[in-house]
Amino acid sequence: MTMETLARDAPSSMHHHNNSSVSNMKHNYVQLSKTCLDEDAQINKKLPKELLLRIFSYLDVVSLCRCAQVSRAWNVLALDGSNWQKIDLFDFQTDVEGPVIENISRRCGGFLRQISLRGCQSVGDGSLKTLAQCCNYIEYINLNGCKRITDSTSQSLSQYCKKLLSLDIGSCSIVSDLSLKAISDGCPNLTSVNISWCDGITENGVEALAHGCPKLKSFISKGCTRMTTRAINCLAQHCVKLEVINLHGCNNIEDEAVIKLANNCNSLKYVCLANCSLLTDNCLVALAEQCYQLNTLEVAGCSQFTDIGFLALSKTCHLMEKMDLEECVFITDSTLFHLAMGCPRLEYLSLSHCELITDEGIKHLSTSTCASEHLAVLELDNCPLITDASFDHLINCHNLQRIMLYDCQLITRNGIKRLRTHLPNINVHAYFAPVTPPPSTGNSRKHYCRCCAIL
Amino acid sequence: MPLIKLQSSDGEVFQVDFDIAKASVTIKTMVEDLGLEDDDEEIVPLPNVNAGILKKVIQWATYHKDDPPPADDDEGREKRTDDISSWDADFLKVDQGTLFELILAANYLDIKGLLDVTCKTVANMIKGKTPEEIRKTFNIKNDFTAAEEDQVRKENEWCEEK
Repeated sequence: MTMETLARDAPSSMHHHNNSSVSNMKHNYVQLSKTCLDEDAQINKKLPKELLLRIFSYLDVVSLCRCAQVSRAWNVLALDGSNWQKIDLFDFQTDVEGPVIENISRRCGGFLRQISLRGCQSVGDGSLKTLAQCCNYIEYINLNGCKRITDSTSQSLSQYCKKLLSLDIGSCSIVSDLSLKAISDGCPNLTSVNISWCDGITENGVEALAHGCPKLKSFISKGCTRMTTRAINCLAQHCVKLEVINLHGCNNIEDEAVIKLANNCNSLKYVCLANCSLLTDNCLVALAEQCYQLNTLEVAGCSQFTDIGFLALSKTCHLMEKMDLEECVFITDSTLFHLAMGCPRLEYLSLSHCELITDEGIKHLSTSTCASEHLAVLELDNCPLITDASFDHLINCHNLQRIMLYDCQLITRNGIKRLRTHLPNINVHAYFAPVTPPPSTGNSRKHYCRCCAIL
Repeated sequence: MPLIKLQSSDGEVFQVDFDIAKASVTIKTMVEDLGLEDDDEEIVPLPNVNAGILKKVIQWATYHKDDPPPADDDEGREKRTDDISSWDADFLKVDQGTLFELILAANYLDIKGLLDVTCKTVANMIKGKTPEEIRKTFNIKNDFTAAEEDQVRKENEWCEEK
């Protein structure tokens, strides 16, 4: 029995009417002293339940659990389902075990809309079945890193939580295609799914998902090395509302997949193709032709991309805010020239390891609209041709907050000092190896390393 | 700016700029529905608010008269309570009775900004305290039996640091 029922059944104080005046006096006295006592707990006396609940709505789970231990009335209030619509147990991940989830499931019941069990490694299928059975109205569930859960949990969610909108089973490495099949059967409204690092999921699971969940807007499958072109083709064919897609490290994906995505899913805003090393400029051209809403493009390690692809993008994707072009080793100043012209909202640009970039490219970038208004982060580490001359242009980037300059051999301390005088709040990431002492000219002493001394 | 007259439960009348008084959706609706905007003789009775509290409410509304209208987003509301301005924090350094009266008044007068900040203030009085400290803060009697207390402790100990 929980305390909720205990408190509900607590007898209310009874009023006995008696004709005897002595008894009446006594009764009045009792009433009076009771009033005095109650006067003290003003919070309960003055505020009705709905206002107390409003106060409780500002409390975190720890405070709620403590309020539940204050008194019978507060126990009922603190455990009221309306306080338990959104629960994030990430902070308690190591303590959360099965019985806690089952207890919470009963507390929340139909009120629960959002629950995050991210990192709760002790939680298993049994507790999650209870959760699904008790809380049929869950819309958002995050099980990222709940490594013990299997396809059985997905089957429970499919069976009981028909309203599910968002599912994160990232790093749940035991789950297989059966999970996605179950979800596609039971949760037709799903708009967001994260299956990153689920090694067991193949194109068959994704195909089922694409068929069953046509409302999908966000698909994240980082590190799913078994993802194929066919899987992405299915998504593109059935889930035309996709806005977010992350295929980081799905290194079997070919151009065909991205071209189909671009052609069918014109609302794409966020595209991550990092380390999909088979892809070529054809992808960028297709995105440029169809996806004008694009604001984030992460293509680190797509080393076949060239200026041609980025030229195409800069002609149509004017809403671009974040571009990660790390290790797109073929791009030259020409890409920067075009981005400067076509992407006035650019805030974040990574050019790490883009070894052909020179001061000329930075000059173009720095004279653009994005430079003067938006550009906040610029990563130029391992761009060996960049010199202090770039700083003369970068001083126009009034919004620049962070610049990465690791391993830019031609950059000097003085250059950075000069940049700082113009942009005093900038955060500069650079590293200068300790100066090696110049070789001594005098013959005062010869240095041999010990191992060579024998020679 | 047109003035309107507000009468507290204990009969005191306050003249207030309508632009300030309309922070209260209740007053705004009443005045507009009754067409009192141009009638500076009519008195708006507020039978649930006494003079002391009404004075504080007017003081609050006057200070906040240029605030943007509060967002009506109770569903997606963050559980933040650390965003109380220093003026409000000073304003709410009152005894518990007054604080609760202000919550009741804000609720009755439908002034979302005041209701939010007063409720947050009480929430802050609860946060970080043990059950016994909460009882002391609000003078709440522990009416659990020993067995019940033991049981609720067990049910709720998962969120405590071990």
